[in-house]
Amino acid sequence: MKNILIIIVVAVAFLSSCTTTAPIAKSVAYKGMYDEKPLTVLLMPPINRSTNVEAKEYFYSTLYIPIANAGFYVISPFLSMEILKKESAYDAELFLNSPLTKFGEVFGADLALFTIIHKWDKSGLAAKVYIQVEYIIKSTKTNEVVYTRTGDVTYDASVSTGVGGAWSGLADIAASAINTAATKYVNVARACNAYTFKDLPAGKYSPIYGTDGEQLAGEKLFKLNLNSKYK
Amino acid sequence: MKKILFISITVLMLASCTTQKPLYTWGNYEITSYNYLKNSDEKSTQQLIETYQQIIEKQKGSRGVVPPGVYADYGFVLLQANRTEEGKAMLLKEVALYPESKIFIDRILKIIEE
Repeated sequence: MKNILIIIVVAVAFLSSCTTTAPIAKSVAYKGMYDEKPLTVLLMPPINRSTNVEAKEYFYSTLYIPIANAGFYVISPFLSMEILKKESAYDAELFLNSPLTKFGEVFGADLALFTIIHKWDKSGLAAKVYIQVEYIIKSTKTNEVVYTRTGDVTYDASVSTGVGGAWSGLADIAASAINTAATKYVNVARACNAYTFKDLPAGKYSPIYGTDGEQLAGEKLFKLNLNSKYK
Repeated sequence: MKKILFISITVLMLASCTTQKPLYTWGNYEITSYNYLKNSDEKSTQQLIETYQQIIEKQKGSRGVVPPGVYADYGFVLLQANRTEEGKAMLLKEVALYPESKIFIDRILKIIEE
């Protein structure tokens, strides 16, 4: 009897250690957003800690659409960037751990979106891009982090030419090389942002504003493979 | 009975396949804004202006209005191209459509007047 009990206790302890984090509702995961009901979002210039010097631009030009389409008022990105530059505030790293009340006063921002590009590596012929990006949304009123997710993303930028026969492999490699030209990297950032912000609570202009709290939040840390077909 | 079940399943499957229309449509915004951010030359400026015009005039999003920030950024690009009056008019349109932009836009208008 004693042995059976020991086995059961050990088995339960073992199984409980194997369980993954249970999904939680958005209203719990992003409580600050539901409590504060923010409307306006300021896109901070991305913080680029990767070796790709252009990663900052790829991300800055693709953050606007998913946030606006989620129902928030996004403060005009080019105009706000100009003011941030004029006020010597273009390096968002300086504000990551500082009070953000000034951004509320100057821009009327309720939230500030920080992005930290930790990694942006590419492999030439395989046309693959490996990215690690951290997204942090902070309240300018409380300075609290109200939303954060980090993605480890492998993006396959290759395209199929549809050419058959012995030359098909070479044709595919050539087409992929063109596809990974500078502007195509915009698609990498776009896909990464689109996936991440799928669980962003709906903003005031969304028809589901205030009713999406029961939906499940995505994982805080996620790994995934994306390709050029991801919208 | 079987027929009803079949129809129900088909309707359910189709309903799950429908994609929701986005709040706004953006044309080529991501590419043209990237090019402008990177180059800020005459060509990229012109392409961005055309994109803004398309977003404004051919808006097909579910809200049926111009997205937040578009009038303001269009105004900014016009101001940069020394089209001051047109630029200011766009900034005022932003405030009219989105009153929450007033704090920021008023500050910009003040800078222009100085």
